[in-house]
Amino acid sequence: MSGVTLTIVSLLPRLQNTNGDAQNAAVLAARATWAGLDARVVDVDRRDALPERVDAIVLGSGSDSSLEATRGTLLTMHDELRTWGTEGVPILAVGTGWELLSWGIELADGSAVEGLGVLPGRAVPRADRVTGDLVVSSPRFGTLVGFENHARDYVGAEGSPLGRVRAGSGNGRDAGQEGVVMGSVIGTHLHGPVLAKNPSFADALLGIASERARLEYRPGERTAIVDGYAAAAREAQLSAAGVALSASGPRA
Amino acid sequence: MRYAPAILVGRLVRFAARLRKPGGGSAVPGLIVNTIAPGYLKRTLSGFPQGLVVVSGSSGKSTTTKMLVAILRAHGIDVFTNPSTANISQGLTSALLERADWRGRVPGDVAVLEMDEGHGAVVMQGVDARVVTLMNVMVDQIDRFHDSEMVAGMLARIAERAHEAVVVNADDAYLERISGRMSPDVAVRRFGVSEAVLEAAPRGLGYTETTSARLAAGEGVRVESVDGVTAVLADGETSVAIRLPARGTHYAVDAAAAYATARAVLGDAFVATTAADALSEIPAVFGRGERVRVRGQDVEFVLVQNPASYQLNVDSIDPDTEQILFAMGSDVRDPSYFWPTDASALGRVAIVSGSKAHEAALMLAYDGVEIDRVEPDLPRALDDFLSSPPPTAGVKTIVFTADSMRRTRSHLGLTGAE
Repeated sequence: MSGVTLTIVSLLPRLQNTNGDAQNAAVLAARATWAGLDARVVDVDRRDALPERVDAIVLGSGSDSSLEATRGTLLTMHDELRTWGTEGVPILAVGTGWELLSWGIELADGSAVEGLGVLPGRAVPRADRVTGDLVVSSPRFGTLVGFENHARDYVGAEGSPLGRVRAGSGNGRDAGQEGVVMGSVIGTHLHGPVLAKNPSFADALLGIASERARLEYRPGERTAIVDGYAAAAREAQLSAAGVALSASGPRA
Repeated sequence: MRYAPAILVGRLVRFAARLRKPGGGSAVPGLIVNTIAPGYLKRTLSGFPQGLVVVSGSSGKSTTTKMLVAILRAHGIDVFTNPSTANISQGLTSALLERADWRGRVPGDVAVLEMDEGHGAVVMQGVDARVVTLMNVMVDQIDRFHDSEMVAGMLARIAERAHEAVVVNADDAYLERISGRMSPDVAVRRFGVSEAVLEAAPRGLGYTETTSARLAAGEGVRVESVDGVTAVLADGETSVAIRLPARGTHYAVDAAAAYATARAVLGDAFVATTAADALSEIPAVFGRGERVRVRGQDVEFVLVQNPASYQLNVDSIDPDTEQILFAMGSDVRDPSYFWPTDASALGRVAIVSGSKAHEAALMLAYDGVEIDRVEPDLPRALDDFLSSPPPTAGVKTIVFTADSMRRTRSHLGLTGAE
């Protein structure tokens, strides 16, 4: 032990946790702990609750009625968010949390919400809400399996998507792509406990955070048992989504 | 007379449906009557001499409806009510047909209906209710209701149909806002819990937004205390001790809602002790903390339907419980929304089962729960769980979602009460 406690910030968990996305912070902390590292989750609902040390950030999705409130609070941390993004602190932003970090959100009534501009692209209305399985082949994180539930598409991520859509809608507009990546800042429609369901994704983020903290991250014994449940759950969902397992392994 | 032909057709269809599937109920007769006589449901619901009472909300409406019906019947009132599975339009019409005479008239002084919050707003169009009771707003079934605002909007539309009183949960901020927008000639009555009851609930009441202040003494029917399966309700100067159908603060809240609604319906004819006796005699609800004797041993069933009931029910499981089977079925399309709950109180689960067994195991593992075995085959899991040696502490406890409950019941040959 080096005396460092990996500090995972769960940003605005009260407003931005419609589908359990904020639990991804707990997933990172649990995996770090199983690896023998010291880790904790800090819930941050206001700027003055930000801890000194920030090793990774999770920002979940909320409902549209919380867009303004969330945006207002995120704006008070605009400088910090830019700094973390530039310095390479892993930030996972899901759903409306992601949309608010983009250039902006176009709403169905023609109005718009200006984003924080941390990630390229913008959210645009789609005809119907899309809900269901979302499977993504990501060159960096392997095959990502999860669920999507959103009423907007995303444009402008074509240069640096999270990956290619194998099942589901993703960014929509026939782009065949999902999410956006800028350094270690990741925006995605994959909601819920995406890091539990995709251990390689979680470990990639933990690897970045550990390296920045000069710690060595090596998954623990319990991690292997828990990842066994994830593997079986992934298999079941992949087969339900009609994605052939043989062709869906992680790529180098 | 105007509905006689439609009623006749509905009856014939019901007869035919029974021939095909003996003992089974069906929404088809209702669908047919609704199609050939579209005004029937509206007119019949509006035609009860002492009016219509509607219970809606995200959670607790079935139990509250049962409790309310029991209280009214104990006061000598003839009540028409719908089985909880028949709370959408076709099912409701079918349920009315079960009791209707050849002209379509349904006997009863008052109708008490459990109304699904999604369909209720549509069913209630053009129907006047005397009293509408709203239980709570919880995020549930995300594929269908996208957020709390939408649920609250649907409940507000049901509440607008009340012409005499609305009875609302004073602890639910969404419902308090709805009650503030009611027309001035509609009375607002309240139920809720005391500060002490809220403090004793480890994770609050599970509502999307809880009000900041509790109901003051005398402002409505208040749950004063909950102790295991007993609770004390206070209504102004009156206070009654009742027995609940199972452990859990939410059952005490359901009882307070039923008590407050019965008082609104009965007025001066309401007798507190009669209500308390009726509430105390409500049998344990199947699958919601019910203890049954199966294959020679006591087993407790705990049903989880949404994140809020999941949290409440998990917290109310006796901490000494040593053997737990946890089954999640295909009714949970996307388990994501269960993740904000905390099941660490379970400690250890002997078998995780159901078609979503691995999803459930993943969630439990991140809550720090030890898992002895994952067995997606539910019948095999049940057989092994029940044939293992009895626990030294607590009783064997099966926690399941609705789909796994049905499969469990059918595998163990348990039928009847739902």
